[in-house]
Amino acid sequence: MASLQAAIECIQAFREAKGARQTAMKDLSKLYEAILNGDNAAASEVTQAALAAGTDPGTLVTDYMIPAMDEVGRRFESEEYFVPDLLLSGRAMKAALDHLRPLLAATGAQPAGRVVIGTVKGDLHDIGKNLVAAMLEGGGFEVTDLGTDVAPQKFVEAISTKNANLVCLSALLTVTMPAMRTTVEALKSAGVRDRVKVMIGGAPVTAQYAQEIGADGYSENASAAVALARRLSSDAPHA
Amino acid sequence: MASITASRRDVVLSALHHAEGSRVPIDFGSTAVTGIHASCVAALRKHYSLEKRPVKIHEPFQMLGLVEEDLQNAMGIDVTGVFARKTMFGIAIDAGWKPWKFNGLEVLVPQDFNVTLTPNGDTLIYPEGDMSVPPSGRMPQGGYFFDAIIRQKPIEDSKLNPEDNLEEFTPASEQDIAWLAKSAKAACATGRAVIAGFGGTALGDIALVPAPFLKDPKGIRDVAEWYMSTRSRRGYIHKIFERQCEVAIGNLRRIHAAVSNDVDAVFTCGTDFGTQTSAFCSVSTFRELYFPYYKQVNDWIHRNTTWKIFKHSCGSVERFIDSFIESGFDILNPVQCSATGMDAEHLKERYGGRIVFWGGGVDTQKVLPFGTPVEIREQVLRRCEVFSKHGGFVFCSIHNVQACTPVGNIVAMINAVHEFNGVPAGSH
Repeated sequence: MASLQAAIECIQAFREAKGARQTAMKDLSKLYEAILNGDNAAASEVTQAALAAGTDPGTLVTDYMIPAMDEVGRRFESEEYFVPDLLLSGRAMKAALDHLRPLLAATGAQPAGRVVIGTVKGDLHDIGKNLVAAMLEGGGFEVTDLGTDVAPQKFVEAISTKNANLVCLSALLTVTMPAMRTTVEALKSAGVRDRVKVMIGGAPVTAQYAQEIGADGYSENASAAVALARRLSSDAPHA
Repeated sequence: MASITASRRDVVLSALHHAEGSRVPIDFGSTAVTGIHASCVAALRKHYSLEKRPVKIHEPFQMLGLVEEDLQNAMGIDVTGVFARKTMFGIAIDAGWKPWKFNGLEVLVPQDFNVTLTPNGDTLIYPEGDMSVPPSGRMPQGGYFFDAIIRQKPIEDSKLNPEDNLEEFTPASEQDIAWLAKSAKAACATGRAVIAGFGGTALGDIALVPAPFLKDPKGIRDVAEWYMSTRSRRGYIHKIFERQCEVAIGNLRRIHAAVSNDVDAVFTCGTDFGTQTSAFCSVSTFRELYFPYYKQVNDWIHRNTTWKIFKHSCGSVERFIDSFIESGFDILNPVQCSATGMDAEHLKERYGGRIVFWGGGVDTQKVLPFGTPVEIREQVLRRCEVFSKHGGFVFCSIHNVQACTPVGNIVAMINAVHEFNGVPAGSH
C-alpha cells in the first residue's frame, strides 16, 4: 500500500509540475507581449515569475526576448514603430534581462557576440547609441556601453577586458566624425584591430565614410545594426 | 532676374508670398537654426577684411556668432533676426558683453556667461550664470558646442504634475517685451526682412526639454524619457501643450502690440519630427498630439498679425508637410534634401505653391564642410534653380554652418547664389 500511495503521489506531483509548466509557458507569451508593448513593469514581473517556476533563463532569452526584439525591429523598419517605441521596448527588455544576467553568466551561455559601444571623443550625444545598444542586447549580444565622449584608448582597453569581437562607434556631429577614424587607427596601433569588427553609425555618417576610415560596416538605424552585427559577428573570431 | 535695386525686405516678402520674378533672397544668422558657428563668423570677417573685433556669441548652446551688419552687407544677406532676451542657458543678452577665449579664438559672451573647467578640460556652463547651482551644459575638451546636462529627478508616475514641465512657460516680463520691441524696431530700420524668435511656442523641442535655462528643472527632463512619454504618458503631454498654448497666445498678444509690423516672420517651433531616414512619430500621432496646438497658435497669428510662420524640423519630414501646411505653417526649414523622401524636385513640385522653403540651399553634413568649392557651386546653383521657380524660396544652408567648415567653402556657397541671381561680385 505504501508503494502504491507513493506512486499516486508521484503521479500527482508530475501532473502538478506539468500543469505549472504549461501555466508558466502560457504566461511566458506575456513576456513577449510586454517587450513588444514596451511595458517594463510587466516584463520584469513575468520574468521573475518564470524564474520562480523554474524556467530555464536561456529559454526566456532565446524563445521570447530575442523574438520580441526582432519583431520590434521589424515594426521599426516597416514604420509601424518609431523611436519612442524602440526606447520603450528596449527598456522593457532590459528590465527582464536584469533578472537573467547573473543566471546566464552562471550557466556559461555564450552570447551572439561581445560588443563594446560608445560615442566617440568630443561628442556627447547618446540617444542613437543607446538605441543601438538596447537593440543589440535584445538581439542576444553582450553589450558593454562605454558612454559618450569616449577616448580611443578606452575602446582599446575595453576590447581586451571584455573579450569583445565587435566595436560600435557613434557620432552625431560633422566635427566629431574624424574621431571615428582616430579610433580605428588607435585599434590598429594597439594591435587589436584584427580581433574585432568595427561598425559605425550616426546622422552624418555614411557607408562610404565607413569604407574610407577602414571600418567593417555602417548601419543607418538601430534595427539594421542588429542584422549587421549578426553578419559581422559570424565573420569575426569570438574571443 | 528681378531688379537688384528692390529693397532687401521687398525681395524677401516677394519670396514669402510666392511672387514671380524675385531674385533669391539670402538668410544667414537671423535665427538659431540658420546661423553660423562663431569660428566661421570670425573667418568670414577676416575673409571680407572687415573691422577686426571679436565675434559676439549670441547663442552659446550652439556657439553661434552674431552676423553683424557689416558682415550682412559683405555677404549680401537680406534677413535680420530678433532674438529673445535670454539665451538657451537663461543668460540675458542685454546686460553687456565680456571677453572669453574659445579654442584659441577671442570672442565676446554675455556678461552672465559663467563657466568652469573640469579636471579633464571640459567646460561647464551654469543656468542664468548662477554658479551656486549645478551646471546645465557641458562642452567636451576641444569641442565646439555645448550639450545639455540631463538633470532628471527620479520619476514617480503617481506624482507627476504637468505644472512641473510648465515652469518655463510663463507670462513674458515687461523687460522681455521692451527688449523685443526695441530689437524689432532696430531690425526693421535696417531695411532687411525681420524674423523673430519670441520663444514659448515650441512643442516638446527636444533641445529645450532638459531646460538648460532653468536652475532646478522638474518634471520630465530626460530626453529618452520625454520621447517615451509621447507614447506612454500622452495625457500628461497634452496637458503641458494645452497650458503652454494658453500662455503663448497671451504672450503673442502682448508682443504683437509691442512689435506690430516691424516683424515679417516668426520662428515658432523647432521640434524635429524627422530622422535621417524616417520619423520620430507617425502622421496619426502628429495629428493627435501636435496638430491641434500648432493650429491654435498659428490661427491666432494669422487672424491677428501679418507675420508668416516659420517651422523648423530636421530630417525626413515629407510625410508631415501637408499637416504642417494645414496647421498654418507658411515656411519650412531647414529642408534636409539628403534625408529620405526629401528630394528637392519632388518637394518643390508637390508643395512649392503652398509652403516656402527657407533652407535646402546646400548640405551641411557632407557637401559644405567636406566638399570642394566646385561641388558646392554645383549644388547651390541646382538648388536655386529648383526651389526658386515661382518664388517661395529663401536661400540658406541646411541648418547652421557648422564649426570647422572651410571659409573658402562658405564663400563659394555665397558667390554661387549671387551668380545665380546675376549679381556681380561685390555689388550685393
